[in-house]
Parts: sequence; C-alpha cells; structure tokens
Amino acid sequence: MGPLIPNGLIPMEWDSIIAIIIGIAFGFVLEASGFSSSRKLAGVFYGYDFAVLKVFFTAAAVSVIGIYYMDYLGYLDINQLYVHPTYLWAAIIGGIIMGIGFVAGGFCPGTSLCAVAIGKLDAWVYVGGIMIGVFVFSELYSFFEPIYNGYFLGNITLVDSFGWNPYWVIFIFSIIAIVAFVVSDVVRKKVKKVFYS
Amino acid sequence: MWLEKKLKKCFTHKPYKMDKKKIARVTSFRYQILALIFILLAGGLVLLPKYQKQEGIKSEALLSHATSPERYISTDQIANKIINKDPSFILIDVREEESFKNYSLPNAINIPLAKLFDEESLPYLNQSQFDVVFFSNDHFYADQAWMLCNRRGFKNLRVLNGGLNTWFTTIINPEKPSQDMPAEAFELYATRKASSMYFGVFYPDQQAVAEESISNTPAPKKVITVQKKKKKPVEGGC
Repeated sequence: MGPLIPNGLIPMEWDSIIAIIIGIAFGFVLEASGFSSSRKLAGVFYGYDFAVLKVFFTAAAVSVIGIYYMDYLGYLDINQLYVHPTYLWAAIIGGIIMGIGFVAGGFCPGTSLCAVAIGKLDAWVYVGGIMIGVFVFSELYSFFEPIYNGYFLGNITLVDSFGWNPYWVIFIFSIIAIVAFVVSDVVRKKVKKVFYS
Repeated sequence: MWLEKKLKKCFTHKPYKMDKKKIARVTSFRYQILALIFILLAGGLVLLPKYQKQEGIKSEALLSHATSPERYISTDQIANKIINKDPSFILIDVREEESFKNYSLPNAINIPLAKLFDEESLPYLNQSQFDVVFFSNDHFYADQAWMLCNRRGFKNLRVLNGGLNTWFTTIINPEKPSQDMPAEAFELYATRKASSMYFGVFYPDQQAVAEESISNTPAPKKVITVQKKKKKPVEGGC
C-alpha cells in the first residue's frame, strides 16, 4: 500500500503542503521540548543533559521498528523508501565540520532556526554563520566539486552493503539505545548540574 | 435529588491512599517498562516467521489482465504499423536465436524466453516510451513472456495474435477469397497482398510492371534506442 505519495494514494501535488505541516509540527515539538536552547544541546557534550541523545535515538529506533512492522504486515514497501545517497568523503568531512559547529555553537541547523524564531541572539549569529558558510562554499564550488560529487557509493544501506539481517540489526540497535540511555543517566548524575532557561 | 448527590460523590471521589501508592510504585518503573516494551517489539521482529513477499502486481490484477484479450494485436495491425513506419513500438522475438537468424519480422529484437530478465534485455521491456509486441511461432511462448513481464508490473505489453504462423498465412501468403465471398474479403485480400509485396513477396502478375525494380535486400534494420528508465529520487533530509 505505502508509501502513500509514490503509490498515488495521495496526489503528488500535496507533498509541499504535507511538508509544510510536518515542518511546523517538527518545529513546534523542537521548541516546546526546549531544543531551542543551545545549552540543552551542548549538554550532551558536557554531560549534564542527554535529552538530545535520548530523543534522536528513540526517534530512530521507534521509526525503524515501526517501518519494519508495517513492511512485514504489507502496509509499506521498504524498497520504495528513499535512501539518501552516500558520497563517502563529503559525508566524513561534512560530519566533522558539523560536529565542530555543533559543539561550538550549541545548535544543529534545525534547532538554530527554531531558536531564531523565538529571538535568541546566539541563534541569529549562528544562522548568520551558516549563511556565510553557504556563500563561501558556493563561491569556491569549483574547488570543492571533486569531493562534493566524488566517492559516490550510491543509495547504499548498512544492511545491503554488509549483507546483515535487518531484524537482528534493529534488535541490537535497540539494545544499544537502551544501554546508551542507562549510561547517559549514570553520567548525568555524576556531573555537576547546570541550570539554564 | 439522590441521583444528583450520588453523581457528585462519584465525581469528587478521590482514590484511596492504597491506590495512590500502587500507582506511584508502578510509575516509578515507567522507564524500565518502556524499555522492556521496546526490547520486546524489537525482539518480536527477529522472532516473527518470515515469508516470501509477493513482488509485482497483485494476483487479482494479473488474473484480470490474463483473461482479457486486449493484449492481442493482429498481424494486419502490425503489418500496417511496419509499413507506415510507426515509431511507437518494439517487436520482440522470444524464440531461440537460431530461429531468429533464420527468419524474423523486420527490426525485431531477439530476446529468447530464457534470457527475458537478463540485464541487457530489461531496458527494452521495462520502459514506458514504446509498446512492446511479443511474438513467437505461435502466440504460446509470447503469451508466457507477456505473463512474466506483466507479473513484474511492466507497462504497454502486447502479443502478436497467432505469431509468425498467422503472419505467414495472412500477410506473406494470404489466401485468395473464393467468388462467393463478400466484398470485404476481397478488400482485405488486396490489402494483404499489397503488404506482402512490401515484405518482398513477388506475384507473377506484377512481373511485367516490376521487371527493373526488383530488390532482394530486406528492409534496412533501424536501430531502436531505448533510454534506461530513471527512477526519480524522492528528495529528503534533515
């Protein structure tokens, strides 16, 4: 049956509208759960707040379990889902840059926009930095292009490239998630509390 | 009045101290309970019995396609299309390579039934630019090819009704209608005779006319290029 839009159950023309609705809901939830504070996000790295880790790990695990159940019951065809293409070195370098930016600025691109919306000054500076970064990248595009378009591995997944059984991967992934939650709780209790708004 | 009182009592009723304690005891374990549910659901995926998933179209759709005679295209239609150089179709010969080399329709592509789903034959079959017309000696093997491709959800598939045998009896060597047949039969015969001349059949009555313009060369093979079907990726990201 699913996915709904590629199979024509929802007309293509609706996808922008659905995207806007999901975007608003996503932004609302991010802001409502305090993710528009750079201190909350930076807390993962300093060990006083692991909400980011817990939220995104839970989201990933819940959705992967849900998707595989829906695939098993025939409501969703996993092979029709979009897999983001892998450009190996571009992903590694981009990941390092994003990680440094995350620690230094205390935002990821999504939460920075949330914080801009509620008028946080550090977020304004952060988004300004993103814009400068985009400008510099575009100006030097011809220089970066071999990395940007090179090392292309296609739309690969761990399961396909290593031939793993997806169900075991999910099971082990869920156990890792729960272990991570327990460990992060232990760490948080040992680290000095930081109060912020 | 007493009902009102009772209702009031109902709504203002507070849980007993014991209840509160029990609830508190359970909710203090809420994360452990959630974690357990989580593990159980993930473990359930591992333990569920696996089954072979059906690929391609649904069996009901396949049945309704299979019982419908819409897929058949007559030899007259095909002859007409070839003569008019209709660019909208591909002829696929599903017989063995040897028979294909021996005789085939002009511009036909040879994809033996065994090689139907080979890497190099898929671009011809799984595309939406051309109609695909299968043919074999009869339409038996062509029907099989049609069924296999239809099962995988390929579009615009047709089968030459009667295959090459009917092609010979109708187009190449049409039967002359007898005197008591209707006028349409004579018209059809004239059309078929003309088509057969196009495909290189020589009639004794045209000898006088066409003495100088005999050419035994078969119609030139044109190259059919098929673009590989590109899947339009659905863009996504964080």
